[in-house]
Amino acid sequence: MSSADVVIVCEAGKGQTEAANARLIAAGVELAAHRGGRLACLLSGHGVLAKATELAGYVDDVYLADSPQCEQFSPLAFLKAVQKLVEDLRPGAVLFGHTFIGMDLAPRLAAKLGVGVASNCFGLAMDADTVTFLRPMYRGRVHAKVVLESSPLIATLQLGASQLPLPNKAGNVTRIDVRPAESATVRPIRTIEPERQGVDITKAEIVVSGGRGIGTKENFSLVNDLADALGGVPACSRPLVDMGWFGTSRQVGLSGNTVKPKLYIACGISGAIEHLHGMKESGIIVAINQDPGAPIFKVAHFGMVGDLNELMPELIAQVRAARAATGSQSR
Amino acid sequence: MKIITCVKHVPTSAVTPRIAVTKIGIEEEGLSYEVNEPDLYAIEEALYQRSLQGGSVTSVTVGPARAKEALHVAYAKGVDQCIHVVDENSRGTHPALNVRAIASIAKKLDCDLILAGIQADDDLQGQFGIALAEALALPVVTAVTEIRANSSARMVTVVRELGAGYKQELEVDLPCVLTIQFGIRPLRYTPVMAIVRARSRKIESIDLGALGISPEELRMANPVRVVELCYPEDSGRCELIDGPAPEMARNLVHKLVEAGVV
Repeated sequence: MSSADVVIVCEAGKGQTEAANARLIAAGVELAAHRGGRLACLLSGHGVLAKATELAGYVDDVYLADSPQCEQFSPLAFLKAVQKLVEDLRPGAVLFGHTFIGMDLAPRLAAKLGVGVASNCFGLAMDADTVTFLRPMYRGRVHAKVVLESSPLIATLQLGASQLPLPNKAGNVTRIDVRPAESATVRPIRTIEPERQGVDITKAEIVVSGGRGIGTKENFSLVNDLADALGGVPACSRPLVDMGWFGTSRQVGLSGNTVKPKLYIACGISGAIEHLHGMKESGIIVAINQDPGAPIFKVAHFGMVGDLNELMPELIAQVRAARAATGSQSR
Repeated sequence: MKIITCVKHVPTSAVTPRIAVTKIGIEEEGLSYEVNEPDLYAIEEALYQRSLQGGSVTSVTVGPARAKEALHVAYAKGVDQCIHVVDENSRGTHPALNVRAIASIAKKLDCDLILAGIQADDDLQGQFGIALAEALALPVVTAVTEIRANSSARMVTVVRELGAGYKQELEVDLPCVLTIQFGIRPLRYTPVMAIVRARSRKIESIDLGALGISPEELRMANPVRVVELCYPEDSGRCELIDGPAPEMARNLVHKLVEAGVV
């Protein structure tokens, strides 16, 4: 391999894996083509040969770190696999998904190599000899174009909705041997499954979400009522889970659920990046917020700036009236 | 248990900072600052662990004179000691410098546990805790939502997020660095008067030179170079609905009916 080559660190686990891998493949293909190099993929896990074979349809080489130690995420074992591959291949760029695993591994690799990392990137721009990474700063209120003045380039990429194209390659799958240190200072014990209670918000066609701007727990009835009037389900953003109002089964965002309903209404949600990850692919997005500068308006189709306490009761009444007129039943 | 929490003083999250004419930074004048929110969670967790295990909590920040305000909040919340590494030059925004400075203090304090917020709300990089652990050759776990300490066994059992509702339980040997996820425990309200009273508490002020960080190192390249800042482009698609509340609601519902989603 050479510094023109690109490594993407794909995932075989649960959760955001598919969206992360799709984004990594799309960006990796583009970057490797631009640099005239090969595209390699690293996959760590246990019993994941089928996934490796699937990924081989998109890249030149798949390196498979398949071992019982990688059954669940192990920061040390996974890092060793990436480090070994980077030492062996000397690629010019190593890309991770901006998942909790990528967010953990990319800075670890950068720290080990003494190089920079651009995290949370939503775009890459390439010209003759420079790759510019586009990433949010200041809670997403400002965007930055950054360049990495170290090699290899290391970045985490925001998850995309990009569906995988039809596979057009037949990459080689090569197993690599990774043994974690005997005296591991970090020891994974178990993976904890998500709580599953009540409705599955990922299956709903209409989702009405409340955020910090709702103010009080009592006031969340506005969100419930609007969801009810629309025949949808209520959901929430992270702060309400942090305050203990709801469990993560109701949470939209990177830590909770990714939803893609035909209608998503965000009430009192400013639109932190972590939240946008979980809903930006929705069919129609409506944002209701007091702050016209809130990042949520950047992804919304329709926006209403104002006091939720005034706007939402009106909206609930209008929705009920419209649905009564068309004969739709609210739940 | 001796705990250090790392605190960053960042522009308040409620407003959009003005981009400076150079386009590579923001205008500090007129901007208000606050404690990085994830770092507040780290302070809350440190205080909780102290309540169970005994010991002390020291909060450390790197930044210009104004960054002391972050430490007033830390004192008001109940930490035992605060240290301010004065950095008027890069003003707390140089990642490698922050790591060097806090690593140097952590070595002197000989602590058991270092807590840092999962990310800083200004640069959103999420790499400080990991880089600090690497500099100190300590283990690190990120995105931690629960800590159960067993200091006699010199280790902690932690729960971390893996995304999409999945979590993971791990054991980590002490001393270690943990990056703290939002919501690890509720943020208690801090009365303004408590912060005012905390202003009289002693903050140990340390110059970079005293930590052996030289002016040359101050100029050391930051491998992540911002070439341009801009405001997020409008997707151009957001149609703002204006007017009195009843009219706005009627307009929106009309549009949603037209779009076939209601």
